Amino acid sequence: MAVAWIDQLIHEAEKKVDEVEVFLVKGTSVSAELKQKKVNLAITSEDCGLGVRTIHKGRIGSSSTNNPDQWQECLNAAIASGKLATPQDWNGLPDPAPFSQTPLSFDTSITIEPPVVIELIEKMLKGADEHPAEVAAGSASLSSVTVTLANSKGIRYTDKNTGVSLSLEAIHEQSTGYEFDHSCFLDKVDPVAVGERATFFATESDNGKDIASGDYDILLSPLAYGELLGNVFIPALSGRNVHAGRSRLAQSLGKIVADTQISMYDDPHREKGNGSVRWDAEGTPTRRIDFIRDGILETFAYDLKTAYRFGKTSTGSAIRGGFGGLPSIGHHNFVVDGKRCGVADDPVIYIHNVVGAHTANPMSGEFSVEFSNAFWMEGSQYDTPIRSAMLSGNIFDMHHNISGLSKESRAVGSMILPSIKINNQHIIGK
Amino acid sequence: MPGIQYYDLRHVTGQVTHIDIDNGIVESAGTSFFNKAVIRVLSKTGWGVLQIDNYSPCTGKKFEAILDEACRLSRITQEKVILGDAPHGILPVPSMKEDPRDVCIEEKSSLLLGIEQAARHPLVVNTRANFIEKIENVQFVDSSENKYSYEMCRSGFNVMAVASRNGNVQMGYEREHSIHGFNLRHQQSQGKKAADIAVALLDAGAAKSGKMRAVLDPELAGVFAHEAVGHASEGDLVNEGNSVLKGKTGQKIGNENLTIIDDPGIHEFGFDPVDAEGVAVCRTEIIKKGTINAFLHNRETLSSVGNGVAGHARAMPGEPPLVRMSNTFIEAGDSTEHEIFEECRNGIFLKGSRGGQVDPGRGIFQFNAEYGYLIENGECTTMVRDVSLSGEILMTLHKILLCGNQRTMSPGYCGKGGQSVPVSDGAPHILLNDAVVGGSGVD
Repeated sequence: MAVAWIDQLIHEAEKKVDEVEVFLVKGTSVSAELKQKKVNLAITSEDCGLGVRTIHKGRIGSSSTNNPDQWQECLNAAIASGKLATPQDWNGLPDPAPFSQTPLSFDTSITIEPPVVIELIEKMLKGADEHPAEVAAGSASLSSVTVTLANSKGIRYTDKNTGVSLSLEAIHEQSTGYEFDHSCFLDKVDPVAVGERATFFATESDNGKDIASGDYDILLSPLAYGELLGNVFIPALSGRNVHAGRSRLAQSLGKIVADTQISMYDDPHREKGNGSVRWDAEGTPTRRIDFIRDGILETFAYDLKTAYRFGKTSTGSAIRGGFGGLPSIGHHNFVVDGKRCGVADDPVIYIHNVVGAHTANPMSGEFSVEFSNAFWMEGSQYDTPIRSAMLSGNIFDMHHNISGLSKESRAVGSMILPSIKINNQHIIGK
Repeated sequence: MPGIQYYDLRHVTGQVTHIDIDNGIVESAGTSFFNKAVIRVLSKTGWGVLQIDNYSPCTGKKFEAILDEACRLSRITQEKVILGDAPHGILPVPSMKEDPRDVCIEEKSSLLLGIEQAARHPLVVNTRANFIEKIENVQFVDSSENKYSYEMCRSGFNVMAVASRNGNVQMGYEREHSIHGFNLRHQQSQGKKAADIAVALLDAGAAKSGKMRAVLDPELAGVFAHEAVGHASEGDLVNEGNSVLKGKTGQKIGNENLTIIDDPGIHEFGFDPVDAEGVAVCRTEIIKKGTINAFLHNRETLSSVGNGVAGHARAMPGEPPLVRMSNTFIEAGDSTEHEIFEECRNGIFLKGSRGGQVDPGRGIFQFNAEYGYLIENGECTTMVRDVSLSGEILMTLHKILLCGNQRTMSPGYCGKGGQSVPVSDGAPHILLNDAVVGGSGVD
């Protein structure tokens, strides 16, 4: 499905450039924000954005606008932009392919209406009542987005996706707790659990004890692991970073880069996955990508531009953060998997979240982060909370020391992660 | 209109021009356009907010229909909101020395390429430079017929060099962003500096962690003021109970020599001529001579929390305003740089910032320097890499022993509630006792 002016845009563009691509996003959302236990703010949004990419003699141009009525101006700006770009090898935008028209990430039961949001808020607050901590803030939102991708090769794809996002912040004395949930499907989020976990962590982390500096066995929750993985490790799998000399994994194809029980893959067709999609942001069919199998690095991720430049094939890994700018290399459902075990059977320091992961060195992988909601744990039971401490290490080296993956995994954005146990990690006490 | 106590509309249109050069290749360069509005209506029970892309200004019944829609939305809110009184007014936007719009994109691209090329070195495997120029035309109107309009242009560049040797990969990163106009000319030295740092870091050792004396350079000390104090003084967090500074007005939490300010009115990167709810901006002394003095507010938190002034509401185009910092800094003290290093004797000198984060409710912060040097007998000696600092707000401020006599500001962006706004942070050199330093080095 495509609107008439898109065909007109493509027709106009073909008079001036070799190829053109149109990316149109239209969405609505409703959300409510809590200030302590009362809804203080209700928001609806009407989003609209048009992105145009042109390719002419290997020069790639782009522009975007919120106003699709001004597509002509946007097209002209994209063509002008292309004149500045350095030309590169380019073997064409994708041809149309037959896809199922059923969206992978669309929940027909979701209505973007304020009462639904209020119901989610009420359930979170009910869960929050399970523990004495006070609710500081929170939010619930529902969204629906329609994405249209069209190109001069004849692609006219439309996809729809929905989203439910929940978050709650709690505080107890000088101890905080935060929990969130997100899914494309209403029945995949658990608002009661979001509220309960937030006040649980705030309450249970109170009266934390100090810890002496030293080496300890630690258990990173999916949240804490996701912070480190997403900021440093995953970008090192991007073909663009690899070929630009910005990835520590660049020379490691075929080598062991993680404990041999670890596998990492992108699973774009995962049932009810947050990032599930049949075609990527350029219209390339998506497929499973096994980055690391049993600890061995097998491949990197590519979009068309990087693949054409370096003689590779697109892995269907192009993503767009919104409608503007050019597509970039990312992932759809990034899964860390492997043999599962009882990671908290023996005494271990459980770290629920970390503060400051984005300050890690993205090249070398060195990081130092503060604990958030850390506990001594034994027999999977939360024991004494740890008040404050810092974890220092190297995210790449750390993957060689993984000693276990938890039986359960959790979706953290578009990552699906277990808790991971790592032995002998350096902790700086206060 | 019945049921509406207050409304405001903030409509921002504009354009963003960018250039991205990676290893000598112009990856992308061009201009995009935006048009975003946010309409807030305050009813008896709370805020109803509409975010509208591609907004067409309207009046009469059409505008009333928009207000009515926001008012109906506000019926799901449950909290009576009172807005504090605040003075209105707008400052002039400083004129630019050279308007970036007067420079063609080909020239911009050529100048940026010069900066990127200056970062080349035999050990540098990747050089990258970005230019960004954002022009915002802001129109504001509220139900009390306050009307403002202004245009802001922010532009600047980043340059990065990645050095590599035997699997050791390090980076150097420099940036310049400004409200004072086009700043790509005569900046090749920034590219060279990025390369020199990246190459030098190949020989730097990992910092050893532990408690020690630390000297923070003005850039990192500015981030320290921002992370350790600024966020915890934001009125919305104080109101939610999510700040360790709540209820501590008048308490001494630092030494006499410590004064921390936020001032949206000074001509630094976080400058706003008027805040995002039409309130006149003014200087707030958050910490005055070591004592908690005032919080940052919008009209709502001024009314509910008190102690401070409104004028600190900021927003990205199309987003509802939040209480935010703008230009945050530690006031200069009276120590010379030499005195600070002498007093430190043995410790670590931390330079530059890779960013930071704070949990204001718990009062814990963490931030990372770009690099550092060991201080031995008052002198900087060995270079160290990947060094961070963490601490507790209420304890750390007491540990600022000395403040230098020269303050400088650094531009950056700050994220909160999914919105990123331009800010600047600054400080003089400061000496910190018992700093908790993180690094992966071992004895």
